[in-house]
Parts: sequence; structure tokens; C-alpha cells
Amino acid sequence: MKWLEVVTVAGATLVAAVTVVVLYSLGVRLTAIAGDVRESNPAWVRPLAYACFGLCGAAVLFGLYLIIPYFSK
Amino acid sequence: MVALVISLALFFDFTNGFHDTANAMATPIATGAIKPKTAVALAAALNLVGAFLSTEVAKTVSGGIIREGSEGIQITPDIVFAGLMGAILWNMVTWLKGLPSSSSHALFGGLIGAAIAGIGIHSVNFESLMQKVVLPALFAPLIAGGVAYLCTRLAYALTSRHDPETGDKLTQKRGGFRTGQIFTSSLVALAHGTNDAQKTMGIITLVLIAAGTQQAGSGPQWWVITACALAIALGTYAGGWRIIRTMGAGLTDVKPAQGFAAETSTASAILASSHLGFALSTTQVASGSVIGSGLGRRGTSVRWGTAGRIAVGWLFTLPAAGIVGALTALLVKTGVIGVVVAAIAGTAAVWYMFIHSRKSHVGHHNAVEVEEAGHAVQFRKKKPAGKPSKSTKDVQR
Repeated sequence: MKWLEVVTVAGATLVAAVTVVVLYSLGVRLTAIAGDVRESNPAWVRPLAYACFGLCGAAVLFGLYLIIPYFSK
Repeated sequence: MVALVISLALFFDFTNGFHDTANAMATPIATGAIKPKTAVALAAALNLVGAFLSTEVAKTVSGGIIREGSEGIQITPDIVFAGLMGAILWNMVTWLKGLPSSSSHALFGGLIGAAIAGIGIHSVNFESLMQKVVLPALFAPLIAGGVAYLCTRLAYALTSRHDPETGDKLTQKRGGFRTGQIFTSSLVALAHGTNDAQKTMGIITLVLIAAGTQQAGSGPQWWVITACALAIALGTYAGGWRIIRTMGAGLTDVKPAQGFAAETSTASAILASSHLGFALSTTQVASGSVIGSGLGRRGTSVRWGTAGRIAVGWLFTLPAAGIVGALTALLVKTGVIGVVVAAIAGTAAVWYMFIHSRKSHVGHHNAVEVEEAGHAVQFRKKKPAGKPSKSTKDVQR
């Protein structure tokens, strides 16, 4: 039955895309907050933004790692 | 004959490359995230890499759709030749006419048509065809579109900034997405390599199996992989230059955040399907994502008329390429003269279309598919002044 595979593709697409977009958006948001001039922001905002970008990149690399057959042997 | 078919297959790969550069690189070029030259070179390089990553799709093409080998039906290089002829001609016609189409479906259509005319209807594995081509073709754009819709919503919700006291909109500062687009579009190019280059590999493998130089059921050989990767990379690189001229206009209204969401969805959908061996159309997935992300952003409306036209183009691709493939197969059946006639006629047609395309308006070129999807999503004009711009001018200083 191929419906299972269709569902798998849908699920994988959803999870992967949402993870990447959410992390990246948070990063963008936090960078924006950290860039605000007038407000005093906690010192952790900018590092957290970078952490979000980092996690996002890690998520992408992990996805590629899962796909490339060379690694899964 | 085998050599002829292989070179024809590589030419198809090349057309596929320049047909599809737009899928990956149209949005970042339009939003100015990457310079066109860099974008095209990047897409070419990543297509090359992607082609080496996974060979699942190649196995689907070479092993699934047309019954071969042990079951007693021998697919001959002639049939593949006819199928490729159908695919290339349909690809060129749609490219010339500016009809949105999928090179993958042209390929399958051509092969199926050729097999039916050359061998008989029993040669086609319809079950496998339904499961590996038709179903993904229906679902992949829907999945990608739905995910893109959701992602666009999320991206905008997460980054919309309001003043906590007055509730006024603050500067949105979404410029970060533009940088992000460089990476997501690279991923799409990579995904394109994992899916589209595979199709040609599958075809060449099919020919090698048919000619008896390779065992049935085995995967593509390394030189086939290398040749296909190079052909698609070259095609991508060549195609980019045409896109630069026209692409600017079609998609400028796509904002970086939207583009980011759409590209992430496209890349995820294609990579996931490639991994499972679904040979889907990158063009359709990219169009689905663009429309989905258009729906997800407030203040946009989708032109369903244009979207419908794209859908009709998708429906026609398979049978039309099939008919050309079938006709070529009938011609080839008559013997060596038939092959020669078909080869000359095909080459002449391709040349005619190429020369004709040189004369005609630039709008009639390969970037059409995604551009059309971009047109399908129409944006309301932003209210002038007053409100802080939603766009990205304020960042990237």
C-alpha cells in the first residue's frame, strides 16, 4: 500500500519544513529584538538568536545526513 | 543505437537542467538575495552534488514502470529512443510555447507511449505507474502547498512585531530571511539534483539493461551517474542566463519570508520523496509551494485562472509526450531507415525550435513555469507611506 508512503512524505515534509522555518523565524525575531536601539534588552537575546540559527542549520544537516545513503550504511 | 540513446538521454538531462533552474533560483534572484551569476553557478554546483547523493529515483525509473527482463518482455533501446524523442520534443514545444510543463512527466509519457506502440499495452506496469508517478504527481504539490501555507503563516506570526503598549506595528526587520533564502534555494537546487538527474540515470540504466550490458534490477553505474550529474549541471548553468533577463518581473512580489517558507517546503518535499524513490516533478512542487505561500500571506489573492491553466498543462504533458513517443516507436519499428528518419526529424525539430526561440520574445522562455505560479499569486498593492514597511529595506544595512 502506497498510501503509507504518501503520508510519510507529507509528515516528513511538514516536520522538516516547520522545524526549519520556526527556528529561523525565531532567529530573525530575536535578532530584530537585539537590534532595537531604544530598549534595553537582556544580554541573552543575541546569543539565543545565534543559537536558533545554529540549530536551524543543524536540523538541515541532520536531514541531509538521514537521506544520504553513504552515512546510513 | 545504445550510444545514440545515451547521448539523447544526456541531451534530455541538459534540457531538464535549463528548464528547472528557475525552480530553485527564481525567488532569491527576484528578492535580490543572490546575484544572478552567483545563483546560477551555485545551482549548477549543487545539482552536481545532489545527483550523487541518492539514486533511489533512478531505481524507480529503471526498475518500476516498464516491465523488463525476467517477465519475458524485452524493452529494446529502440523503445527508449522513441520515448526520449517524445520527451525532448514535448519539452521543447512547451518551452517554446511557454506552456508550463513537467519534464519528468514528459519523460514518463514518452516512454509509456513508446512502449505501448512498440511492444503492446501489456508492457506497462500500470500499478507501479499509478503508485510511483500519478499519485506523487497529485499529492506532492498539495503537500508542498499546504506545508508552504503553514510555514508562511508561522514565519509571519513569529516575526510580526507590535508595540506592546500602543499595538502599533514596529519595524518588522525580516531581512534575515533574505540571507536565509541563499541556503534554502541551495537546498532546492540540491533536491533537484537528487530527483531530476536521477531520471536520466534511470533511463540510461534501462538502456544498458535492455542492451544486455548490465544486469536487470541493478542500480546505475558510476560513469552514468557522473555523466548525468555533469549534464544537468551544465544545463542549469546554461539556462540561468536566460532567466536573468525575464525573471526579475514575475516574482518580485514574493517577499523574502515567503520565499524562505516556500523554498523550505519545496526542498523538504522533494528530498523526502527522493528518499522514498518517488519520481515527482520539481516544477509542480515548486509551483505548489509558491501558491501555498501566497495564500499564507495576508493581503494576497491567488489567481485561480492561471493556476488552473498550469494544472491543465500538467494533465496534457503525459499523454502528449506519449503520443509523440508512440509515433516515433512506430517509425522506429520499420527498421534502420525509420530510426534514421526519426533521428533526423527529431534533430531538425529541435533545431527549428531553438532557432525560432532565438527570434521570439524573451517571455517565451524556460523560466515560465515558476513565473506563472508567481503570476497566479497576485498581491494587493501596499498602502502608500504612513505604515512602516513590511519589507526588508530597513535591515541589511
